[in-house]
Amino acid sequence: MRKISASDIEYIAMGSTVLGTGGGGDPYIGKLLAREAIKSYGEVELISADELKDDALVVPIAAFGAPMILVEKLFSGDEFVKAFEMMESYLGRKIDAVMPAEAGGLNGVIPFSVAAQKKIPLVDADGMGRAFPRLEMVTFTLHGIPVSPITQADEKGNRNVYHTINNVWGETLVGATTIQMGGSCAVGCYPMSGKQVKKAAIHDIVSYAQVLGEAILDAKANHKNPVDALIDKADAIKLFSGKVSNVSTKIDGRWNKGICEILGLDKDQGSHLTLDFQNEFLLAKKDGEAIAITPDLIVLIDAENAQPITAESIQFGTRVIVLGMKADAQWRTPEGIELGGPEKFGYKERFIPIEELNKK
Amino acid sequence: MYYKIGVDVGGTNTDAVLVSQDNKILSKTKQTTTLDVSTGIANAIKFVLEESGVSKKAIKYIMLGTTHCTNALVERKELNKVGSIRIGLPASKAIPTMTDFPKDLQHVLGCHNYLVHGGYEYDGRPIEALREDEVKDFLHKMNGNIESLAITGIFSKTLPDQELKVAKWANEILGDAVRVSCSHQVGGIGLLERENAAILNAALQGVASKMVKAFKQTVSDLGLTAQLFIGQNDGTLMSLEQVKDFPVLTISSGPTNSIRGAGALSKVKDGVVIDVGGTTSDGGMLVDFFPRESTQAAQIGGVLTNFRMPDVVAVGIGGGTIVRFTDDTCQIGPDSVGYLLKEKALSFNGDTLTLSDFFIAENKIHIDGAIAVSDIKSTIEKQIGVSYDKALEKTKASIQETIEKLVDKLKTDAKDIPVVACGGGAFLLPAKIEGASEVLFPEHMEVANAFGACIAQISNEEEIIINTMQQNEESALEELLKKVNAKLLKDGAKKESVKVLTKEITPLAYLPGTVKLKIKICGDLEGA
Repeated sequence: MRKISASDIEYIAMGSTVLGTGGGGDPYIGKLLAREAIKSYGEVELISADELKDDALVVPIAAFGAPMILVEKLFSGDEFVKAFEMMESYLGRKIDAVMPAEAGGLNGVIPFSVAAQKKIPLVDADGMGRAFPRLEMVTFTLHGIPVSPITQADEKGNRNVYHTINNVWGETLVGATTIQMGGSCAVGCYPMSGKQVKKAAIHDIVSYAQVLGEAILDAKANHKNPVDALIDKADAIKLFSGKVSNVSTKIDGRWNKGICEILGLDKDQGSHLTLDFQNEFLLAKKDGEAIAITPDLIVLIDAENAQPITAESIQFGTRVIVLGMKADAQWRTPEGIELGGPEKFGYKERFIPIEELNKK
Repeated sequence: MYYKIGVDVGGTNTDAVLVSQDNKILSKTKQTTTLDVSTGIANAIKFVLEESGVSKKAIKYIMLGTTHCTNALVERKELNKVGSIRIGLPASKAIPTMTDFPKDLQHVLGCHNYLVHGGYEYDGRPIEALREDEVKDFLHKMNGNIESLAITGIFSKTLPDQELKVAKWANEILGDAVRVSCSHQVGGIGLLERENAAILNAALQGVASKMVKAFKQTVSDLGLTAQLFIGQNDGTLMSLEQVKDFPVLTISSGPTNSIRGAGALSKVKDGVVIDVGGTTSDGGMLVDFFPRESTQAAQIGGVLTNFRMPDVVAVGIGGGTIVRFTDDTCQIGPDSVGYLLKEKALSFNGDTLTLSDFFIAENKIHIDGAIAVSDIKSTIEKQIGVSYDKALEKTKASIQETIEKLVDKLKTDAKDIPVVACGGGAFLLPAKIEGASEVLFPEHMEVANAFGACIAQISNEEEIIINTMQQNEESALEELLKKVNAKLLKDGAKKESVKVLTKEITPLAYLPGTVKLKIKICGDLEGA
C-alpha cells in the first residue's frame, strides 16, 4: 500500500497517455479531476491486487462517452459517485475498493476522484493494460466475468442499471443511452471479488504508468534524453523514427479511423511506415510488412520530448518515434487475440508478437 | 493613389514601412523601441513620411503589429481584476475555473469565479435553464471588485444566447465601465481552453484600451487621419474597436507578420521562412502565403488555450548571439547580448564575441559605430587564441549545421523547397542550405514584419456542432458560410477578394450523426 498524492497524478496521467496508444481520451481532464478530488478529500491509498481479501468487492469505475463531449461538457464529479453508490445499493453491500477498467488514456486517472471522495483504496490493476475502444475488450471477459450489473449516471442525476445477456451488449446499450444523456456519463461495471481481480486483472498497471510518466518527466527536468529513458523503463522496441508525412481520417460508425504515414529518418532513411488507427494505433507496417500488431501496444511519441501523440492530434512534419510494447500475456492467448487482435478490427494480418516480428 | 504604413514594435526595434497602394515599399526604417512604445512608433512613422515625401493626407491605412498584450501577460503587468461566470451546472463542477493557472496569475486576476446553472447539450437541448436570480446575485457580489468579466457557457459555440443574456444582465448591474468577454467570441470548442481565453481576454482589456488610446493619440499628434488596424495572430487585421473587445487575439501576431511579409517580398508561396533577430532565428512554414499553424494548443503566459499559433521553431542564432571557443571547438549561444550589441560586442570595443562581429569583419553588414574591420579581426584572435580564418570557418560551419537542422525540422517531406531569409540578422544565414532548393534574400527583408502587417487581410471564422438528423450538413455549412461572409463584408472586406481558407465537416467519434462545421474566410480591405 502507498499513498497517491496530487503530484503522483501528474506522472500517472503522463504514463496513461503512453498506455493510451493514441486513444483512450485526453487524460488532461481526468488529471485535473483527480487532482481536485485529492486536494479536497485527501490522498488515495493505492493497493496491489494481492492485498485484496478474496471476498472483497471491487468495482471498476470509468468515464464513458465521446472525447469531444468530455472536453466541452466537463464532469460534475457527482456522476462517478452516483454510479458507485447505485452499484452498492443494487448489490446490497459496500464496495471495498475501486479500480480503473482501462489504464490507458483518461480512464487511467478517473477512478482516483471516487476513491478520494469515498475514502476507499484504489487497486493497482486494470482490465486492459492499454486502451481499447469497447467495454467488452477487457481481460475480465476472457475469464468469463460478466460486465453486468452496469450502473450508469449522468451529471444531471439520471441513472440506469443494466443486465445484459453478454458483455458486448453492455457496450451496445450503454453506448446508446449515453448519446441521449448528452454524450458522456459515468459507469460502474464488472463487479468482482478480490479473488477474481487477482486472477483476471492486469496487475501493477497504475504503478507502471507512474514509472513511464516519471521516465519522461524526470528526464526532461534533469535535461536527460526522455526518449531513451522511456524506452528503457517501458522495455519498448524502437520500431521506427521519421517524420509524419500524411494523415487521413474518416469516422466509420462510432470510430475515428485513419492512417498515419511516416517517412523514415536516420537509420530508417528510405523506408516508409504506415500506422493504422481506430481511436487507438492498431497496426504498424514498415514498407508494407507488419512490424507491430494489436493487442501489442503501438506508441507514437515526439522524437524530441517523448510526449505521447494521440491519433487526433497528429501533426504533419512532426519528428516522431514509433515504439512497440508487449501486450500483457493474457492478450496473447488465442482468446485474447480473438477479443483484441487484428481480425476484431477488420485487418487481414494475423497476430505475431512484436519481439518475433522484430528479431534482429 | 493612396498609401499605407506598416509598423512592427519588437523588443529591440520599432520598424516601419511606407507602402503604395499596390504594395511597393517606398521607405523603410528601423528605430529603437522606446520605453513608452509611442515615441518609437512616432519616430518610425515620421521617418518614413519624411523620406518618402508622401503627403499625410494620402496615408489611408496604418497597420500596427505589437507584442504589447503578450508582454503584459508574461510580465503580469497592468492586468485587470477579472470576474468569471461559467454557465453549466450541474455539469463541469469537478474542474473549477482557473484551476490550472499559475498561482501568481490567479493572484493578480483575483478569485471572483462563479458557476451558475444552464448550458447546452451538444444537440441543443438545455442541460438546465438559466436562472436570472442566481446570475444577478453573483453579479451583485462581484460589483466593485472586478474590472472586467468573462462569461463561458457549455456549447456556447453552437448556442451563444445564454452568454449574451448574462452579458446583458452584467451590463445592467456592473455598468459600462466593466467590459465583458463572451467565450463564444474568443475561442473554439473545448470548455476549459475557451474559458481560459475569455479570462485572458478580460484581463487584457484595460491594457488594450490604453494601447489603443495611445496609438490613436500618436497618429493624430502626427497630423494623420488614416484608418488604424492592429494585427492578430492568424495574419489578419482587427479594427481598434475590435482590439478593445478582443485583445487576446493580438497575441503572437509578430511571427505571423514576418512569415507573411517574407512570403510576399520573395513571391514564394510555399517554403520555409527564417526570421533572424538579435537573440534567435525563428523558422516557420509558409503554406499558400499563410503561416502553417501548430496543432498543439498554445500556452499563453502559462495558461492553456485553444488558439492556433503559427508553428514556429526557434534556434539560438541571432545577431547578438555569444560565440565561445574552448581550444578549437566553437560553441554558439544559446545566450545573446540582445539589444546591448553596441555596448558589449567586440566590434564596439566591448568584451564579448558575438556572431555579428564576424559578419561586420567580413563586410557583410555595416553597423554605425563599429571599429575598423582589421581591428575586429585581431581583437577576435586575441580574445579566443585561435586564428581568425579558422574561427570564422568553425563559426560558419556551426551556423550551417544548426540552420540545416532547423529547416529539416520544419519541412514535411523530403523534397527540397525554397528558404526565405528575413529580419535584421538575415545576413547570418548561409547562401546554400541542405534541403533548400534555393535560399532567397529578398529586398527589404529586414523589415518583412512591418511589411507583413501592411499587407494583412481581415478574416472571420466560426465553428459549430450540428446533428445531421435535424439539419443537412451541406446546407448548414452554406448557411454558416453566409453568416461568416456577411460579417466579413461588414468589417470592411472587398467582396470580390473574399477567399475561403477552411471549410470543413468533421464527424465526431462516438456520436453517430453529429458533425463539427468549421469555416474560415479572409479578404482584402475595401480599397486596399
